[in-house]
Amino acid sequence: MSQPWSSLFRPCTLKEIAGNEKAIRQLQIWLKSWEGGAPKQRAAFLYGPPGVGKTCTVTALAADQGYELIEVNASDRRTKKRLNALIGRSIHQRDTITGKRRMVLFDELEGVSEHGGVRAIASIIKEAEVPIVLIATSIGERWEDKFRPLKDISLHIKYTAVPFSQSLARLKVIVGELEIHVDEDVLELLANRSRGDLRSTINDLEAIARGRTRITMAEASVLTDRDRNDYTPDALMKLFSAKTLSDARRVISSAHIPYDDLFNWIYENLPLVLNDTSDLAEGIDALSRADIHKIRARRTQDYRLIKYMFDEMTGGVALARRSSEEVDLPYFRSPQLVWRYRRTWHSRRCRKSIAKRIAERCHISTREVVAEIIPLLKVIYEEDPSMAEGISRWLDLEDKEIKWMRS
Amino acid sequence: MWTEKYRPQVLDDMVNQTDIVSRLKTFVKERSLPHLLFVGPAGIGKTTSILAMARDLYGPGYRNYILELNASDERGIDVIRDKVKNFARTAAIAGDVSFKILIMDEADSLTTAAQHALRRIMEIYTGTCRFCLIGNYSENIIDPIQSRCSIFRFRPLSEADTKEWISTIASKEGVQLLEKGLEAIYEASKGDLRKSINLLQAAAAVQGSAVDDIAVYSILGRVSPRKVRDMIDLGLKGEFVEAREVLRSLLVDEGLAAKDIIRIVYSEVLKLNIPEIWKVRLSDTIGEIDYRLIQGGTAEIQLSVLVAKLALAGEKI
Repeated sequence: MSQPWSSLFRPCTLKEIAGNEKAIRQLQIWLKSWEGGAPKQRAAFLYGPPGVGKTCTVTALAADQGYELIEVNASDRRTKKRLNALIGRSIHQRDTITGKRRMVLFDELEGVSEHGGVRAIASIIKEAEVPIVLIATSIGERWEDKFRPLKDISLHIKYTAVPFSQSLARLKVIVGELEIHVDEDVLELLANRSRGDLRSTINDLEAIARGRTRITMAEASVLTDRDRNDYTPDALMKLFSAKTLSDARRVISSAHIPYDDLFNWIYENLPLVLNDTSDLAEGIDALSRADIHKIRARRTQDYRLIKYMFDEMTGGVALARRSSEEVDLPYFRSPQLVWRYRRTWHSRRCRKSIAKRIAERCHISTREVVAEIIPLLKVIYEEDPSMAEGISRWLDLEDKEIKWMRS
Repeated sequence: MWTEKYRPQVLDDMVNQTDIVSRLKTFVKERSLPHLLFVGPAGIGKTTSILAMARDLYGPGYRNYILELNASDERGIDVIRDKVKNFARTAAIAGDVSFKILIMDEADSLTTAAQHALRRIMEIYTGTCRFCLIGNYSENIIDPIQSRCSIFRFRPLSEADTKEWISTIASKEGVQLLEKGLEAIYEASKGDLRKSINLLQAAAAVQGSAVDDIAVYSILGRVSPRKVRDMIDLGLKGEFVEAREVLRSLLVDEGLAAKDIIRIVYSEVLKLNIPEIWKVRLSDTIGEIDYRLIQGGTAEIQLSVLVAKLALAGEKI
């Protein structure tokens, strides 16, 4: 019983999965269509909020239909080459040695970048001889931009929040199996506050009920003063449509991500929401001032100052809206700067090591080298190979660094 | 690179900054020197002087007795303190000289707090180590440090001296430098010899023979970050999202520091064909953002305020 309850009561069969009957049926039909050879769409893309049974459906279905499931996790770095090394053979051979059929699952796709991973996965799908299931936790109604390469080559299966009545029913089953007594109003509270995220409902149950046999509202009160978290897009939606500072401000505590991350989400999406130039200028300026308040709080270690940051990044942004038209965003963009850093990692490392060497030999700072010297050197590398060669030798550059200079 | 190839190696090689050079020669003769503070604009011989003096003082093995640090590359005063400590801990046994020399470039970019810490370090290690601080402006160096140093003000090289240097290097390298080309190099770099020589070398690479003004301007056009101009133009057109992408590319792909970007933006904005009053307004915004950056603001967030303001300007004009 030391396992967390959410994994202990994880559904093993399709019947145990609460809600999303239509989605499950869609997936079943698609898998059945493989019996007559690879169908038009070789991948099924399951998307929807967390904790509603997406992964459970796939594992239960695979067990039910006698598939061997190969899971690839998003935390791996997904280049085409690595993917091929990892699963290359299994996507071309339909059966294992024992005659079992194979199925490949890519989970947690939301953590994969478009250039690094999504494209590699897309090209794998095109060659696949076995069913491939993709899962992404996405909160918006529509497609996230980065999944564009997967759009036309996969069957889209949408998951939604588990309805209250079904969450409640599932909770009652679990409580029965645990042989504990939980008051009906507590179960209702639990089912209600997690808004259809069954996994977190069970987590909440465990938080108040583990080690107890009888739970009343008194024991559950620990949960009530804590607001259920908003998924980022919900939080952003609330923020961008807030009409008062206090409404906007509430998002800081209700969002399920730290305020630094929330700040980046706001910054990324603000220009998409504020389409009037002066509104946008005001909103961006509010973020800039929020940034400064944060720095001051850090520098002085006096975190009373952080509230001014919160006011600027929520109210300052929400109330900047004056002339902007209401826009219905198809999706919110996740903060892009991180991806750019990841994408350019090799190139930046090259530049850094070259700059460091030049700085040492020319007795100037690397900052100056990057701003003043490298642009000139790049001209030389383009125009005069023999002069460039001399410089490479003098700087003791490696081949890949020389290549970088030429690019 | 020609800047290093033609850097004067010993004080006798130095033909400019004669007053300062003769004082430095006295230090070498006396085998003793105070803490030094060299101030003046870029590319006129501050670092060259101290390196040449060190070579005269310690001989060919001089590298063992000096430590070069660049304040803008060192992370924090604690790192500096550790490096100084390790460096100064072992005494110099260079004949009759009992101290080492620590050269701190861009010392004027240190925060006031860091400078106070540096002052303490200078006091503690005075016995074994002399400090040579280098910077562009003495105003940015706190008084207690100034009062502990002999201050040498380096003057910009005269036009004639600069041109003579460049011509000499050109002829040694077999580059035919036309009068107009020389003029263009001087115009672009004024008295900054490092910049002049780098420009000459790039121009020679592009145009092996007969470097004229067109060759020089074409280099300048290619290296002045065109992306900054793209960002400004997109901003003026109100294309905030696209301009922000360019900004990200400057910060990440090009690796430019925020203060370099803002410096270029400022000079480009002054060249724009917009009503003069908007130049003043934009300058005010740039000034505000520059200050927020100095306070430690996040580069991307702060610089995008500029882009938003440019969009506003573009709409109103």
